[in-house]
Amino acid sequence: MDIKIPDSWLRDYLKTKATPNDVAKYLSLSGPSVEKIEHDHVYSIEVTTNRVDVASVYGLAREAAAILPQFGIKARLQPVKLPTLKFSGDVQYLQVTVNHSLCPRFSAVLIRGVELKDSPDWMKQRLTAVGVRAINNVVDISNYIMHELGQPIHTFDYDKIRGAKMILRESKKGESLTTLDGKTHTLPGGDIVIEDGGGYLIDLAGIMGGENSAVDESTKNVLLFVQTYNPLNIRQTSMFLAQRTEAAVLFEKGLDPELVALGMGRGIELFVKLTNGRPENTILDIYPAPYKERKVVTDIDFLSARLGAHLPKDKTTQILRSLGFETYWKGKTLQVLVPSYRAGDIEIPEDIVEEVARLYGYHNLPSELMQGGLPEPLADAPFNFEAKVKKTLTGWGGIEVYTLSLVSWEGAANGLKLKNPLGLNSEYLRTSLMFSLSRAAKDNSGETKPFHLFEVANIYIPRKADLPDERMTLAGIFSNTSFREVKGVVESLLEELNIEAKMTIEDAAHYLPNRCLSVKSQGKTLGQFGELPGGLLYYEFDIEALREASADIGSFKSLPKYPAQIEDITCSFPERTKIGEVIETIKQADKSVADVELTDIFQDSYTFRLWYEHPDKTLIDMEVEKIRDKLTKELKNKFGAIVKS
Amino acid sequence: MREEIISIKNEAMAQIMEAASANELEEIRISYLGRSGKITSLIKKLKDLPVQERKEVGLLANDSKNALVELLAEQKNRLSEASREWFDPTIPGIKPKRGHLHLLTTAIEEISKTFEQIGFVRVRYPEVEWDYFAFESLNMPMGHPARDEWETFFVDAPTHPKYGQIVLTPHTSSGQVREMNRVKTPPIRMINIAKCYRRQIDASHVPMFHQFEGLVIDKGISISHLKGTLDYFARNFFGKERKTRLRPFHFQFTEPSFEVDITCGVCLGKGCKLCKSGWLELGGAGMVHPVVLKNGGIDPKVYSGFAFGWGVERTFMMKSDLLIPDIRLLYSSDLRFLKQWT
Repeated sequence: MDIKIPDSWLRDYLKTKATPNDVAKYLSLSGPSVEKIEHDHVYSIEVTTNRVDVASVYGLAREAAAILPQFGIKARLQPVKLPTLKFSGDVQYLQVTVNHSLCPRFSAVLIRGVELKDSPDWMKQRLTAVGVRAINNVVDISNYIMHELGQPIHTFDYDKIRGAKMILRESKKGESLTTLDGKTHTLPGGDIVIEDGGGYLIDLAGIMGGENSAVDESTKNVLLFVQTYNPLNIRQTSMFLAQRTEAAVLFEKGLDPELVALGMGRGIELFVKLTNGRPENTILDIYPAPYKERKVVTDIDFLSARLGAHLPKDKTTQILRSLGFETYWKGKTLQVLVPSYRAGDIEIPEDIVEEVARLYGYHNLPSELMQGGLPEPLADAPFNFEAKVKKTLTGWGGIEVYTLSLVSWEGAANGLKLKNPLGLNSEYLRTSLMFSLSRAAKDNSGETKPFHLFEVANIYIPRKADLPDERMTLAGIFSNTSFREVKGVVESLLEELNIEAKMTIEDAAHYLPNRCLSVKSQGKTLGQFGELPGGLLYYEFDIEALREASADIGSFKSLPKYPAQIEDITCSFPERTKIGEVIETIKQADKSVADVELTDIFQDSYTFRLWYEHPDKTLIDMEVEKIRDKLTKELKNKFGAIVKS
Repeated sequence: MREEIISIKNEAMAQIMEAASANELEEIRISYLGRSGKITSLIKKLKDLPVQERKEVGLLANDSKNALVELLAEQKNRLSEASREWFDPTIPGIKPKRGHLHLLTTAIEEISKTFEQIGFVRVRYPEVEWDYFAFESLNMPMGHPARDEWETFFVDAPTHPKYGQIVLTPHTSSGQVREMNRVKTPPIRMINIAKCYRRQIDASHVPMFHQFEGLVIDKGISISHLKGTLDYFARNFFGKERKTRLRPFHFQFTEPSFEVDITCGVCLGKGCKLCKSGWLELGGAGMVHPVVLKNGGIDPKVYSGFAFGWGVERTFMMKSDLLIPDIRLLYSSDLRFLKQWT
């Protein structure tokens, strides 16, 4: 949570000559982080959830009084001056029944003859500085104390509490209540509520008061109300009703019950001063289990080991005492007694490490790399392979993109749905990269030159009663590019990765019919590619399948001893001839055909380059002619080829 | 024959020195070094000489040939511009098609290399994860207010009896207990880089980003070791004059917890217009909480550790001073943006 503290208010309790800049700098180094100093020297401070004790003027002063001297600047905490108070578990003016597990400390006092009016200027100014609108003296006193001490305060119109009776209890599901802001809430159950003698709910405790018991212009007698609540109940209710009041945000962090007396004292003092109210002599205070100081036991060797530096005992003592801890040494063993306002945060020896180290100064600790053994590298790590794929593709003009893995339903066939999506177009976890990459290509539809976008990212395939299967996937999309060029990139990639793959025509969802090839290696599908409607060409591969199929180094083939005879053959074919099959037929025609390449296409004529090889000799022209005759005959028979040369 | 070679050589040299154009030089080259040039013809005749002489004269003939080749080149350079053979080397090159790795890939590789050099092992853990690993095992039980910091996406799927709901990991820290489960016995030096998701409604954010998480567990690991590691990273990733500092912070899964700052690249910590205080915020870190070690099956009485988890995008932008105004640009597919990177 972020809070604002005016420097002038802080100095009511912090006696120091430190400049506001010094206060900000040193607090940030050893305590809560001062994000900035606003105009008129108002500190803007980020308070972490464990340090609700500094979420107030007084709390921050206490912290600063401990920190500043570590940097050689004198500073002292001015304690809150309180009137003498008389507490009792039983009073005439209010009869209460309290569920102690919901409310560890319950205190209230009746103040009669309250005059409602504007607050004095000094109070209005301070409230404005911390971002609170001044309303009237009664409301302002509550807000002022909350910011000064970090203790929320509530005020009831005493005369609206029927029978001067209160029952503090857990709500039942479905009970309803209208709060001060006019909102009517139907309660989920388990909320802390107060019921009066007439059976009406008059307070959504710790979050906001009820409208039916609120102070208004006709109020004469005020019940000043200071409590500590069970943080879990407050949080649950506040989150459920989305009623995130300042009081709720404080209470849900677990407040110090000892703070109640301070809040009560300060409240009485300000009511007397600003409203001419007359408080009852006895304050109702129900506090069945007062705070007993928590003990944390640690030792100097542990502290030094965690810091990585030798820590003197006396320095440790000095630091802990400045923070309000009591310390008892027995040899190397240290017993620490935790003050009530730190009880929510300090429980284990590691917590003591933090207290000592931050005040000792993190900048005073050495900086050194750890010694010791090294872990074994990850067996079969995928990272190098992925990097190789990416670098190979960029070498051929591929441009890598990162697109959002959350997509609309169109991009996630059978995909997992989010419970709380940000919108319809990011509602599902994608099960393919096709949708995202098509979008990416279309985003560049103004580009008339060829381009190739690719991505390597997880897709998320749902599994029953388990986390989804996260499959690292390679996919790419081409625009303004021919089928043959794309196929060439795919083929080259497979060659670069040393994968022996077979491509077969297999229709697949979203691809144009007859324009999709499935890529397999040893019977296992690696992926597919083909043409999408709209002229885009797309490929998608499972990275792990590629990795499995890929051999690190190709196998060795001995070099041919005798040079090959090379010749070109040009044939024409009838329409609808599959040239892939022609090439396959040429290859199979004779074992002396070592290689075939398509070198040219002109109208319906295809030129193939053939390599004839024999392991034991150079083939003579007559032998080549024989093979040629055999294979051209086969081409004629099988495909109706007309051999032109 | 020796005298013959020398005299032909001298004759050729004289002609070369006097030549005034590229054409003339070419003619001279042909008449001496061409297929039937004077020197070439002499070399052809070498085979008729007795063996001993052949060696000696052969050497001389080759030397003469080389001397003429050199002189021809020199003389060409000496010719005035107009009399040279025309060639325009200022014409633009024909470039091979060049692709582009995304900035994030470059960033992730640099970050992991930096840590791998001091023995960290790069791993990868689920991006769609059980609540247990994302929160519960990190000392954040159900309903804990600290969970608010992570604006978490939940998956609409049945709850696991032990591990709870399925979430999109809001941080790479969800890999901590998984890594402890994998390694079992320290030392652990992990670097985990993955996609993370946060439900950020504000318009300048993308709900997806990348984080890298460092985790070190061994006997006697201290705050000083964390400082040493962060300073090592700052020196080697950001530049050797850069330093880090720790400030107190709070996370449920580390104790103590820190916010890590790095000296500003412009003023190196003195304070300037860009950074104000001299320091820039890098991200969170801390000493692994004993409860987390226990949840990972590691005895906190024997071992201790530290962890840090920062945004890849943020860290890399701070390094390169790229001043990309809006992090959403990184996830755009605009070619004009993507083509700017190597």
